[in-house]
Amino acid sequence: MSGLYKVKLKVNGVSYELEVPAWERLIDTLRYRLGFVSVKEGCGRGECGNCVVLVNGAPRPSCLALTATLDGAEVVTLEGIAPPGKLHAVQVAMLKSGGVQCGFCTPGVIIMAKALLDRNPDPQVDEIKEWLAGVLCRCGSYYHYIKAVKLAAEYIKKGFVYFSEEEVKKKLHLRVVG
Amino acid sequence: MVAIFEIYRPSSLDDAVEFLHKHAPDARPLAGGTELLILIRDKKIKPPKYLVDLSPLRKDLSYVKLENGLVKIGALTTVWELSESFLHRDPRYAGFKDVWHKFGTMHLRFVATIGGNIATATDFSDYIVLLLAYGANVKLRSVDGERVVPLEELIADRRQLAARPDELVVEVAFPEPPPRSSSSFEKFDRRQILIAGIANGCSYLHLDEGGKIADVRISFDMVKGKRIPGRVKPVEDFLRGKVFTEELVTRAAEEVLPSVMEKYTDWWTTAEYRLEMSKVTLKRTLLIAKKRIEGGAL
Repeated sequence: MSGLYKVKLKVNGVSYELEVPAWERLIDTLRYRLGFVSVKEGCGRGECGNCVVLVNGAPRPSCLALTATLDGAEVVTLEGIAPPGKLHAVQVAMLKSGGVQCGFCTPGVIIMAKALLDRNPDPQVDEIKEWLAGVLCRCGSYYHYIKAVKLAAEYIKKGFVYFSEEEVKKKLHLRVVG
Repeated sequence: MVAIFEIYRPSSLDDAVEFLHKHAPDARPLAGGTELLILIRDKKIKPPKYLVDLSPLRKDLSYVKLENGLVKIGALTTVWELSESFLHRDPRYAGFKDVWHKFGTMHLRFVATIGGNIATATDFSDYIVLLLAYGANVKLRSVDGERVVPLEELIADRRQLAARPDELVVEVAFPEPPPRSSSSFEKFDRRQILIAGIANGCSYLHLDEGGKIADVRISFDMVKGKRIPGRVKPVEDFLRGKVFTEELVTRAAEEVLPSVMEKYTDWWTTAEYRLEMSKVTLKRTLLIAKKRIEGGAL
């Protein structure tokens, strides 16, 4: 066995062929190798939920996944939850309900909220709390997050999954960057 | 994470046990990684030379099924997959839902596996406490074939299995509970989740038509003589065959339980408080299980 492992990884719809050492974690690959900096390292031991990404559709703390074991996996980070230039309903709902404060935990919260809405389009407050409890927010925005998930569920129910730059501008007077 | 190891991705279960046989104890199986990778990261253990990545075996070892009167759970079934199975819809398995709500965080539930929970054998494992109350057996596989060990005997000590390092946990199974049975699990601590618990306990109860206790199994995170999950059999013997009343449950908690339970004082809390909470756990889990049997719902 050589020291490097060949891994095919699809991140946000783009295929990558990588050679990684055995101990490289998914967070290292995403953040430092590929530059998806929405994936943040909080505790590094799967407790804070800030590094959560979707691996084959399921939320997973990327600090507890070795890239070498993920050959063939499909990964979605915050950068990839909406097509370029657009925002996902959860992102718009977060802005709309004032859920974003310092922003550190926001990517984890949005990924968990999306994973929840993928499985249950109409979640109750208890369920939202259970899903988001795993992402620690030191600003204490939890209350706004619950409102945001409810709002996002409403957007999606009405058929608004992605929002274009024009719509975001009109709604929130914000410019979509990146 | 700076640790030097190599990863082996087996092509089949036979391949995995062969590799383990050749390289144990230098090779460790890696399931969800929510425990082993943290131990390596925190330098609590010497990094093993090889990690045997079990994810290629998921298609064979991830299932929950009812077969020949046994509920069988594949070792690589994640906690999330348990929640998607019939175990979360049938009141006879109500304890599974209780554990689910107290288990780690949501994203860990998508990763952590039932086999990993057993093989890790932490002293406060929720699923071990629950499966003890269901009288579970564990199937181990090695190059010599398969053997089935009662979970009680398999958990030898904290983080120690009564198994060879080249044996792989492949399945956990327990008898299908009869009608008029249910269970309940409780965990007390300062937080709801991501916590070991000051007291963890689980009761499995089977009542006959007359309200007599036909069968009962009770487990806790600590029992007398060991600091690992175990059953409190004298309490079970005291209850079995008697008519279920609240007074009987109180007597079991106040008179019998302290004699078979030795709790420890550590930086987290005192032995006295742990024992008091264990009494509450015993009473509460039995009463909830009875309510579930009579209500016939979760």
